Amino acid sequence: MRILFRKICFYLLTAWAAISLNFVIPRIMPGNPADNLINQFHGKLSPSAVKALRVLFGESDKNLWQQYVSYWHSVFTGDFGTSYAYYPSQVSDVLGQSMFWTLTLITVCTVLGFVIGTALGMLAGWKRGTWLDSLVPATTFLSSIPYFWFAIMVVYVFAITLKWFPLSGGYAVTETIGLNGGFIGSAINYAVLPALTIVVASVGGWLIGMRNMMVTTLSEDYVRLAEAKGLPKRRVMYAYAARNAMLPSFSGFAMSLGFVIGGSIVTEVVFNYPGIGSVLFKAAQAADYPLMSAIFLLITVLVLIANLIADIAYVFLDPRTRES
Amino acid sequence: MALQSAALAESESGAAADPAGEATTSQGPARVWLRVLRAPLTLTGVLITLVFLFLAVIGPWISPYDPSAVSDAASAAPSASHLLGTTQNGQDILSQMLYGARASMVVGLGAAVVTTVLSVLVGVTAGYVGGLGDEALSLLANVFLVLPSLPLTIILAAYLPHSGSLGIILVISVTGWAWGARVLRAQTLSLRKRDFVEAARATGEKTWRIILKDILPNQVAVIAAAFLGTVTGAILTQASLAFLGLTDVTQWSWGTILYWAQVSSALLTGAWWWFVPAGLAIAVLGTALSLVNFGIDEFINPRLRQAGIGTKKAQRAQVVKRRTKRVKQRGPVVARPAGAPFTPDSTDVILDVRDLKVDYVSDGSRTPAVSDVSFTLRRGEVLGIAGESGSGKSTLAYAITRLHKPPAEISQGEIVYTKADGGTVDVLGMDEDELRDFRWEELSIVFQSAMHALNPIMRVGEQIEDVIIAHRPRMTRQERAARVVELLGIVGIPADRAGSYPHELSGGMRQRAMIAVGLALDPEIIVMDEPTTALDVVIQRQIIEKIMELKDRLGFSVVFITHDLSLLIELSDTIAVMYGGKIVETAAADDFYRRPQHPYSRGLLASFPTLGGPKRELTGIVGSPPDLRRLPSGCAFRPRCPLAFDACAAEIPRLYQVTGPDGGTSRAACLLHAEGAPKSAAPNGPDATDGPDTTTTNELATGEMR
Repeated sequence: MRILFRKICFYLLTAWAAISLNFVIPRIMPGNPADNLINQFHGKLSPSAVKALRVLFGESDKNLWQQYVSYWHSVFTGDFGTSYAYYPSQVSDVLGQSMFWTLTLITVCTVLGFVIGTALGMLAGWKRGTWLDSLVPATTFLSSIPYFWFAIMVVYVFAITLKWFPLSGGYAVTETIGLNGGFIGSAINYAVLPALTIVVASVGGWLIGMRNMMVTTLSEDYVRLAEAKGLPKRRVMYAYAARNAMLPSFSGFAMSLGFVIGGSIVTEVVFNYPGIGSVLFKAAQAADYPLMSAIFLLITVLVLIANLIADIAYVFLDPRTRES
Repeated sequence: MALQSAALAESESGAAADPAGEATTSQGPARVWLRVLRAPLTLTGVLITLVFLFLAVIGPWISPYDPSAVSDAASAAPSASHLLGTTQNGQDILSQMLYGARASMVVGLGAAVVTTVLSVLVGVTAGYVGGLGDEALSLLANVFLVLPSLPLTIILAAYLPHSGSLGIILVISVTGWAWGARVLRAQTLSLRKRDFVEAARATGEKTWRIILKDILPNQVAVIAAAFLGTVTGAILTQASLAFLGLTDVTQWSWGTILYWAQVSSALLTGAWWWFVPAGLAIAVLGTALSLVNFGIDEFINPRLRQAGIGTKKAQRAQVVKRRTKRVKQRGPVVARPAGAPFTPDSTDVILDVRDLKVDYVSDGSRTPAVSDVSFTLRRGEVLGIAGESGSGKSTLAYAITRLHKPPAEISQGEIVYTKADGGTVDVLGMDEDELRDFRWEELSIVFQSAMHALNPIMRVGEQIEDVIIAHRPRMTRQERAARVVELLGIVGIPADRAGSYPHELSGGMRQRAMIAVGLALDPEIIVMDEPTTALDVVIQRQIIEKIMELKDRLGFSVVFITHDLSLLIELSDTIAVMYGGKIVETAAADDFYRRPQHPYSRGLLASFPTLGGPKRELTGIVGSPPDLRRLPSGCAFRPRCPLAFDACAAEIPRLYQVTGPDGGTSRAACLLHAEGAPKSAAPNGPDATDGPDTTTTNELATGEMR
């Protein structure tokens, strides 16, 4: 339990650091982005929006500490001000609508990618020296491809040329959003290509990591002993080799997850998927700083939660960490 | 320098003193690097990377057009005049690609340089300084590691609108240094504790000199891996940022090309040539860099190098011999009659090893680790096998149990086992199913380190139980649980410890648990490979007594392998001494102690004190164990032997029968015992009655015995 407590403390600290970073960055950036942005709107911004923008960049009559306190206040109330890219929508509303899409897509894809990659990696490590070795360069190539480019190719082949799947979007506009069969079916249909892209591009990383750990684990004494015990091969592979080889995949989850999320964001843009990635793209185009900040915070918090889950899973998988 | 890091990784790879493992460390650093290059995939990676680098350098001079120049040939497919086609505005894509190569490379390399410098600074400082500074820096690195880098990069890049390559480089470096820093910190920590660094510190060398001379050179491989990884990552990130329009979109890079292709809906107009080359270039370069990194990985972690582990042959435990076709018959299970206590003249042979040969195969050369080894094990007998490290004793243990993995290979010999019904079977000829039945049912093995041999994430009870599940499928859960408790009780472990994990047990208890695993199915033979070496003397004593007690009670035979000769003499019935992969002497333990016949045995006996008897000077054996790849001609012990004579260089001695004055029989592989040997030097001198011949052993002089 102590280890979990320490982990939670660490993630709280990290969250604090990220949120504070988000406060600091606009204030230390050179130039005067607030004026630029206000000029872009040619006076169409409401006075309150202009004021909020100046506050974001630290142009305020309050001192830095007061600004920091009110910043935290807005973080906890979810009040990130007005979006400029989706003017006059509130940032929280824009995110509320898009978050669900991204969360579902990335969760499903991460789990799929992890399971498939780890399973293939286990086999490739177990059968080291056979044809399965050729999986390594193949998946290396796949994971070296930029996600968004792979997405473009997938769209070109499956949506434009073969017309198997819809070109872009998250669901057919003819359906009404809600828990009805038609909408869910359509959402799945629209999600196939983005999901395919993310899974295929992320499998390689898991595969190679798992394979190398598997090969390393196979020369451990306990695997040799398991063989000497005359256990069935499957038992040796799963219970002795793979279970131990998997552990680093969990402790390295953070880095891989960040990578997958980064890739997914850009993938959404290609598919014009109604998730956070597409919103971020629009926000970046329109220099919508409030929206970008909020997205950064949101993604960071989600990643931290995912990492905490991975850490908890690790504690369950490896009894050695449970030691006090 | 690279050599040391290989040695470092090598030492982590653990127990087995395989000559093949040593092979890598004894080569010069340059050759080790060459070996990395020799792997075809790695070489391909290096070549592709070089080609891209070259194109990036000369790109602007060889590009046929100005990349931004608009022409009439709008959206033209690849043709002779525009090899890669044109954009919507008639710009030449090949020219854009060549200019883009430079921008992408600059960002990739620039970011990698800055990131690596940051990683090294933070990682090495944290690892070397330790204490509070380390805590703070590690925490910082860990925080940056879990922050999702792309969103952070996007935020930073967005606040630096239309920044050029420099801005992007800085942004990528700020978000990307943490991983390298963490790895380097861990490496520095372990290097700092190593002898050569401790020595440098003790001599008062300046900190920065130690870091530059002793620490950094040993991290070259890791730093190189981090550097190449960052190049790939930075090129990908730059492309993503450019694709999102967050960089200066008028500066040509591969990402910018894709940005314009996307913005102009090149997909919908079917202009595949617009977006294929840029993505392909990124992917190919990324793959090439990863391939180089795999080469480095395999270099850092030698276990990855062992080829062919999963092949059919390896699964058959590396036996060269063809399986003998035999009618499979599972006769009725015959219970073996209870064995009478072992007597020296017993002929009840249970295991007969004949002419066994095990080679380590690498790059076409074969190193014999065990050759022409023959011995018999009788029921209830304790056969002790002694030898220095590298003498082949552990290799022999693995061969008996058929546990060898590449590069080891059993190239010759027979291991004949006598079944309960009196029939015999060659262990090396067994197929997978037979082998699985044989293992543990008839023969079990206890490894040197229970810490490594027990699965760290499985409860001890479960590790005993799974043997029973595999071999006694008909036992009920309750019966199995009862058996587990019984086995733990036999070795003196409280029943409630069945639910413990190996790390929760003390060293002695772990080793006893290991023995309980070995006893699970009442095997006929237990091979014990240095079962007590890792334990302190008191615990060692307890374990040995337990083993001997169990042997008398349960009546199994033991092959006991150790370098501890005094222990061996005490507990064995018969002793075999190995040297250079061969058995050089075998005799009843008593005869061996009183009259060692091989000069090497005498050297061994002279290098440790006896508990009783008169005081005598301890001597050792001069020189070091032979290099199995370059065995001397004739007798392998010749260069260290004080009694060597001319014939020893010409002839490999076979085992000669030597009969002692009181009827004991030894067999020694020494030409001194051959017909017509120079009798004057024969070690079986007149003073054979009172222990090792002190006059001859003094000649052996003192030396380090490993």
